[in-house]
Amino acid sequence: MNRRLSLTVVVVLGLALLTFLNLVGDWGRLTGGMSNLGVFFRESLWPPDWSVLEPQSYPVCEARFEFTCSVAWLGMVETIKIAFVATVIGFVVALPLSVMAASNLSPFEIAVPTRILLAAMRSLPSIIWAVLFMIIFDMGTLAGICAMSFYTVGYLGKLQFESMEGIKNAPLEAAKAMGMTRTEKAWLVAIPESANQLLSHLLFMFEYNVRHGTVIGLVGAGGIGLYLNTYLKLAQYDKVVALLVVVFLVVVVIDFVSMVLRSAVTEEGDVERPSWSSLFLPAAISSTLHPTPMLKDASLKESE
Amino acid sequence: MSLLEEVLVHLHDVAIGYDVPLIEDINIEVIAGDVIAVLGPSGIGKTTLLRTIAGLVRPLEGDVELAVPSRGGLGYIPQRLGLIGNLTVRDNVEMGTRVSLSRWHLPFFPVPGKQRRIAERAMEDLDILTLADQPVRILSGGQQRRVATAKTVAQRPKLVLADEFLGELDDDNVEIVMETVRQAIDAQNSAMIMVEHHEELAKEVANRIWRIKDGRLIEELVR
Ligand SMILES: Nc1ncnc2c1ncn2[C@@H]1O[C@H](COP(=O)(O)OP(=O)(O)OP(=O)(O)O)[C@@H](O)[C@H]1O
Ligand SMILES: [Mg+2]
Repeated sequence: MNRRLSLTVVVVLGLALLTFLNLVGDWGRLTGGMSNLGVFFRESLWPPDWSVLEPQSYPVCEARFEFTCSVAWLGMVETIKIAFVATVIGFVVALPLSVMAASNLSPFEIAVPTRILLAAMRSLPSIIWAVLFMIIFDMGTLAGICAMSFYTVGYLGKLQFESMEGIKNAPLEAAKAMGMTRTEKAWLVAIPESANQLLSHLLFMFEYNVRHGTVIGLVGAGGIGLYLNTYLKLAQYDKVVALLVVVFLVVVVIDFVSMVLRSAVTEEGDVERPSWSSLFLPAAISSTLHPTPMLKDASLKESE
Repeated sequence: MSLLEEVLVHLHDVAIGYDVPLIEDINIEVIAGDVIAVLGPSGIGKTTLLRTIAGLVRPLEGDVELAVPSRGGLGYIPQRLGLIGNLTVRDNVEMGTRVSLSRWHLPFFPVPGKQRRIAERAMEDLDILTLADQPVRILSGGQQRRVATAKTVAQRPKLVLADEFLGELDDDNVEIVMETVRQAIDAQNSAMIMVEHHEELAKEVANRIWRIKDGRLIEELVR
């Protein structure tokens, strides 16, 4: 068993390497490329232009704190608002869909079409959704919210139905034997049993949507992406870098807040208090240093 | 046996198992008022028998006939209890009363006062009322067993299927739990099938014994 596993790992890694070498035919291009990047970095990107944090000249700033009139603040606040609304809408729509897609809650004939629907919503990149909704609603925030809600449903639906399928069998069997309806099984068993993971996915999705606000904004759908788009067009890359740093910091803060929130619903003693490294490192890195309770749960379930 | 006896379960030439049969030629009837203990070594198919009667596994052969309401008629305490760890003791116990309501009483709404009181009574009987607002996940093993029992008692089913639900309980608690369950069974004129590893305990509480041995179910009379 173990030998088979290590063989599989070696084969997959080997295949990935071969494919990579096969994909990149022309290594010669690399030589000039690196120095070009160095020039680009020194001339255009660095240092970031922090004027994005200063109030705009027009309209005249009347707020108590001047930075609340800055491009970074206005854009970020709008992006967070869009992400918040879209995540909530996406969650509310995705929840019943994920119950329909979970094979332990719904029959085959319902689960399979629902999964196909969710996959379809995911397979169009968010930027295409944004373009589609721009055609319907014209440029602006509404199109941004719709686009973001759509792929949120696709992603959250999938993450959620997989969590629901991963719940323990015993509570569901007890509920089935009692003669509970599907709504009862979903609301009283599947959702509370997978609550930690659902919350975790919800917060992750919010963070993802804040990051993605930059992409959606590129097609004119409001938020910080709109400013990014403008600066990119004007080739003011130092301002782009400054805005991206702001986005990064906001994402780190959201990540930290979500960890605190998650620890409220997990089993006592299961969660270490958020550590300092997790405050400053993005989730992906810090979670390898400090495995989250979600991961622990998953490994427990397997050994059961 | 009286002519008026109420047959709740009837297994006719049933074989159970997954891919290969575990127990074959099962012919049994369960009468209202029965308390049946299932005995047998680990891995022989006791849990599978309960799950087959509960309709969670299809029998490989034969029919399982249940004469209990499809909603709420059957109470099942799985070996792993099947409680919802993130919900409170009260929520878990009230869940048992839900199936006595119409299917259109949507689960987003709380149960009515009558069901609330039934749940409260069951918690009182099993001495867990003080824990009512604790999440089940923080309770001890024995406390969780009493919660699972309270849930099924509050459900008032016609047939109780209990899989080693007395494990981890001390002698005093075994007595409390069995006493409460027996009262509930008598009150509804229900029956119970319980898997039990301790033979003396089984003989003490049950009026019938089903011993599973070499792929057969053998009935032993107790009294
Ligand atoms: N879902 C399943 N699919 C296939 N085989 C299963 C499944 N569940 C149980 N089995 C097998 O069926 C056999 C009987 O299992 P069962 O759980 O009924 O035993 P048991 O008598 O309840 O044992 P214990 O006293 O240890 O609980 C075991 O060999 C087990 O591996
Ligand atoms: Mg068992």
